Amino acid sequence: MNFFLDIPPATFWNNPSGSNALMIRLALALLIGIAAIFVLLKAPTNYRRPIVGVVTFLSGAFYVMLYLWPVAISRNKGIDAPRNPVEGVAFWLDDAVPVVANFTSIVTAFLLGLGVYSLLRVHGRKVMRKETDWVFSVVLLSSMVLMVFAGYGDWYSRLDPIKAPALELRENWGPINYLRDVLFEGMLQQMDAAMFSLIAFYILSAAYRAFRVRTIEATILLAAAFIVMFSFMGSVEAAWGHMVNPSGNIDNFSNNFTLTEVAKWIRGSIQKPAIRGIDFGVGIGALAMGLRLWLSLDRTGGKS
Amino acid sequence: MKYETIRLIFGALATVGLYSVLYRENKMYRFFEHVFLGLASGYTLVAVWTETLKQSWWDPMVGTQTENGVPGQPGFWAYMFLLPIGLMGYFVFSKKNNWLSRIPIGIILGLWSGQQLQVWWNRYGPQLDDSLRPIIPTSFNPMFVPSTKGLPKIEVDAIKAHVYVSTAVSNIIFVITLLSVLSYFLFSFELKAKFMQKTTLLGRWLLMIGFGAIFGSTVMMRFTLLIDRMYFIWVETVWQGILGQK
Amino acid sequence: MSTKPRSEMSLGEKMQSVPKPILYLVLVLLTSLPLFKELNVPNKPNEASEDFYATVMAVPEGSTILIQSDWTGSTRGESGGEFESLMRILMRRKIKFAVYAAGDPQAPQVVKDSISRVNDERKLSGQPGYKQWDDWISLGNLPNAEAANQAIANNVQTAFPGRKAIPSTGGSPQDVFDSPVLKGHTKLSDFPLLVVVTASNTATIAIERYAGKVKMAQMVTGVMGPETLNYYPKQVVGLVVGLKGVYDIETLMEGGINTADPHTIKDDNGKFQGKSVEGFPGELNKGKATRYYPTLHFAFALLIIAVLIGNIGMFLAKKEAGK
Repeated sequence: MNFFLDIPPATFWNNPSGSNALMIRLALALLIGIAAIFVLLKAPTNYRRPIVGVVTFLSGAFYVMLYLWPVAISRNKGIDAPRNPVEGVAFWLDDAVPVVANFTSIVTAFLLGLGVYSLLRVHGRKVMRKETDWVFSVVLLSSMVLMVFAGYGDWYSRLDPIKAPALELRENWGPINYLRDVLFEGMLQQMDAAMFSLIAFYILSAAYRAFRVRTIEATILLAAAFIVMFSFMGSVEAAWGHMVNPSGNIDNFSNNFTLTEVAKWIRGSIQKPAIRGIDFGVGIGALAMGLRLWLSLDRTGGKS
Repeated sequence: MKYETIRLIFGALATVGLYSVLYRENKMYRFFEHVFLGLASGYTLVAVWTETLKQSWWDPMVGTQTENGVPGQPGFWAYMFLLPIGLMGYFVFSKKNNWLSRIPIGIILGLWSGQQLQVWWNRYGPQLDDSLRPIIPTSFNPMFVPSTKGLPKIEVDAIKAHVYVSTAVSNIIFVITLLSVLSYFLFSFELKAKFMQKTTLLGRWLLMIGFGAIFGSTVMMRFTLLIDRMYFIWVETVWQGILGQK
Repeated sequence: MSTKPRSEMSLGEKMQSVPKPILYLVLVLLTSLPLFKELNVPNKPNEASEDFYATVMAVPEGSTILIQSDWTGSTRGESGGEFESLMRILMRRKIKFAVYAAGDPQAPQVVKDSISRVNDERKLSGQPGYKQWDDWISLGNLPNAEAANQAIANNVQTAFPGRKAIPSTGGSPQDVFDSPVLKGHTKLSDFPLLVVVTASNTATIAIERYAGKVKMAQMVTGVMGPETLNYYPKQVVGLVVGLKGVYDIETLMEGGINTADPHTIKDDNGKFQGKSVEGFPGELNKGKATRYYPTLHFAFALLIIAVLIGNIGMFLAKKEAGK
């Protein structure tokens, strides 16, 4: 089964677009999927963990096989045929990579709606029951509806094969395009930036109130932070450099004591290995966690 | 008033509204906070379809007709199975059947964990290689790396081939830092040997240098975001937009 | 922190309890007022930024590169400047690009708006703008970065199955791999360079999956800088970190790199030792980083002074309590 030839030949897996055969198969596939959900809902409690475990294992096994199975190198896709079963599996794995990636993207995209659904549930309930601050929930839901309307309207207007290229220029925009631009670029992006920039105030306040050199560790941290911050300040770098190496000749021994060189040395000889050590520790943990997840060795997997 | 100015004013008002939380929690902040959440979630609903699902799922599933010489594609009906799998994720909201949501999550996490075997080496292999540095000098005279200015390539290559005392010292500090930080992380149990205790203590101190660097970089980033907002409000909106100055 | 009224506090205690509104107001003033004055700050670009610039400038004119852009408005102060600088360089050198996102659904639209801004800038100076389909193409968003990067590493064309766009001359949507941007590009090795512009860990996810298959350069925010520096220069050939990195790039666009020593013997490529890369003298190279960077000094200075005042206050308070 190859989903990705230019114009695929007719097989069991595909039907001409708009044909009755395709509509029937789509309906059947949906019914089978929904039936599978109902069957799973009836599954006994002690079957649940194994079901999740098997699904997780089979998913992980694909990439493990991909990495451990001999690779078909110099393969001419669509022309070469596998010479033996080993090559046959290699070809199948190679063809399946984009399919698996595509399926993963699609399932992830469906799951992105979870957050939106949760917001709709919580705020919808607030409005229906007129709970505290329900007016703000109306504001949220109205903004959401307006953005959906403007977003789809703008997207739909760009589907027109004749008008679409002209819409690259703002002069050719219609009201819906302007509305989307105001909501997305004019408001959403600016508010996103504002929310993240609020942390600057809190960092300043927290550093002022809590950053105290009471211990050796705090002193080292403060000194390192100051050196890094000074190294980001070009005027300080230039002034320090002029003081230490007035001629500016990089071959002078004193050039080693300019802020640029000191910061570069600290970055290369101490900061890099320190963070690399943390990274190695995290990496070992990630490898262990990956193995545990793949084999469902975590404690709570599958239990309600 | 020009369209750009109107758009800038909307953005500036929203920014100032959100900044009002710095004084204290207030209704104006809550209003803009809810507008922000509404717009963000609304756009997610749009982008998930227009940027991902329409072209990756819907079009391959229903196929396309031949149009203006562009050949149509058949529909692959098996894509329909992905809809129930994705919908299983929504059972997380069900008290009785939330275990079903672990199936699509298990697929995604399973794929991730299967990849870890290979990607771990891709990520850490070159770093391990880079960490194995020469700590014994091959040249004691000069002790520091000499200048290569004005020298022919053959002499420059000869200079670069040596490990000078200064380079060896830097490499020793690199290796000691790496090993002591690793020992601090890996030996999280009580250590009896005094040498190991001192090593983990050294690791903790050297870690502070790494954290100091992270703090400095984080401060740079956050302040830059704030400066960008101030530029947007004062220069783009007020000075250039409303007052029309250049 | 002391709860006594300010009049009863010792000097040390007063120094440790400057009210928050005063601190915030001073911060707002110091990050706003310098923006109105053009201040020139000397700058020595760091090695990683120089390597990034040299790498992009070495891409042959007319070729196509791949860009992974995962940033949105939340980090526009840094990532926006990074992306726009990259766009200016690519457009001036007539390098085509295909851009995709591997995470945030907002990212593709943010990219389109950013390109539109740089296009407007070019039109003001009488230069042609970049057209979608002919000069650049959007490949949309792939929500799962791990799977997406793995698929792209395997085969770029099959990683974006059925992706269509309307040609610049209009007409029905066509396969993006039929466009002038992507025609003949199927594998990662067909691209001379891949640039990742991101504010999140998609930088490391890309490194994990693209290892050795394509030359990769990255533009990251300050927070990701220390971690990503570990991968430079072995896995990432050039790295731009935060506002300082963008300022480095703008400095290099203005003056180029010229460390080549004419007293040395030329190498096999006919070049003197050291680096020599052109800039774009006479063109608009100064972007937002040039406006923001001097202001950053004032913000840093405020933080350093605030921390010093707090610590001096602590020592004084201890001394006074000891009396």
